Amino acid sequence: MGRGGLSVFVAFIVGAIAIVSLLLGDNPALFGAGAGSEELARRLTLPGDVLLRLVVIVIALSVVIGIVNLLYVHIGRLARGKFYSAVLLASFAVTIAWTVLNKGDASLLEAVQVPIESALAALLFPSLALGGARVMQKRADVWGLLFVAVVLIVLLGSLPLAELAPVQAFSDWLMAVPVNAGARAILLGIALGAAVAGVRALLGQDRAYRG
Amino acid sequence: MPLARCAGAGAKQISSDAAGMMAEHTIALVSFILTLMVFSYVLGDLPLIGVLYRVAVYIFVGMAAAFTLVVSYEGLILPYLQDIQNTETSWTALGNSADIYIFFTALLFGLLLLLKPVRSLAWLTNSVYAVVIVVGAAVAVVGALSGTLFPLLHHTVSIPANLVADFGALLDALIIFVGVMTALFYFHYQVRATGAAGGGQSRLARGFRHAGKVFIVTALGAIYASTLLTSLTILSERISFLFQFGVA
Repeated sequence: MGRGGLSVFVAFIVGAIAIVSLLLGDNPALFGAGAGSEELARRLTLPGDVLLRLVVIVIALSVVIGIVNLLYVHIGRLARGKFYSAVLLASFAVTIAWTVLNKGDASLLEAVQVPIESALAALLFPSLALGGARVMQKRADVWGLLFVAVVLIVLLGSLPLAELAPVQAFSDWLMAVPVNAGARAILLGIALGAAVAGVRALLGQDRAYRG
Repeated sequence: MPLARCAGAGAKQISSDAAGMMAEHTIALVSFILTLMVFSYVLGDLPLIGVLYRVAVYIFVGMAAAFTLVVSYEGLILPYLQDIQNTETSWTALGNSADIYIFFTALLFGLLLLLKPVRSLAWLTNSVYAVVIVVGAAVAVVGALSGTLFPLLHHTVSIPANLVADFGALLDALIIFVGVMTALFYFHYQVRATGAAGGGQSRLARGFRHAGKVFIVTALGAIYASTLLTSLTILSERISFLFQFGVA
């Protein structure tokens, strides 16, 4: 086994331990009503607990490493005279200084972060509306019509007008039954996809960690 | 004397109120300017005006990175450091000494991640990635099975309690069941070989797929409409804030 195979071997061993521990641990009912079943379940939970703690700390450290890398890249760009990198570094430095000097004060968050976030979210409306209109112009088939009809019914159903009570009732039924069914199927598809991708990673088939 | 004391306390109260008002006005002014800077995106990439949107976004990224760093340190790394120094606390059933080993192993793994640019030692970094990815994959598999797959399947095939009394509930449960099954069938691409000309789908399969597509398109339309409504609500809040600030 070469050095490249080591990561696959580590992945398989750690993955097998983690999945057995997470699936079977902390569930004494799986091991019958015997006296040792609780002890066995507790022991099976242990490797999962240790691995999760370890990975959480590694992820926190990798977030810190990622931010240090971001700063390193922008310091390099600043040396080449990039103005926006200076803005980013200044905003980073001011935020760190503010947080250290004013512990627990959320004024900076309220004054800068929240308005920018909500203004960016507000910009989503014209982008979404324009994008939707363009798609409808290019694909005017039965599925496009159905899509537009559902969008209109849901939008009209959200209006607080007494004249639109039948539309509101139909919109409520639409959300509770057909939309519920479609959303469940999409979620089931995502869950199946996540499970398959997870199993592929556990078996060393994906090898995203081979670099 | 009591009168003088009262006057002093009143003056202090007034000055603290004034400071609070001042802070509120400053927050509102900064919010106003930043909101206008972000909304300048609508005007396009004009000289000078195009810079405003980019400056706002770079401020946002710098600030988000700083807050993420602070939260990672104060919310995770610092509490863990305090925990390992306290002999009475333990993360696992193995006791506090095991916590110290876990913490320093994680630190070692963090240091190994820094070796990524060194090609000859990349196998060490990849082994750390392997641990992180497979533990994440194991959590994802268990979460997908126990958190989404089993509960949703259970809800889809379970029969409502008032089924006999309420015909509407029966019909709704049936539509949901058919909707989920046909929509799942829509995701499943299976081609039946029909002679030398190649593959084709049976009429029944095509019917199932079309029925599934109806439910998928309906769900996507509703999700799109809900997203439009959410962004419209935020947009109207921002615009009303801009007008209120202008009036004040």
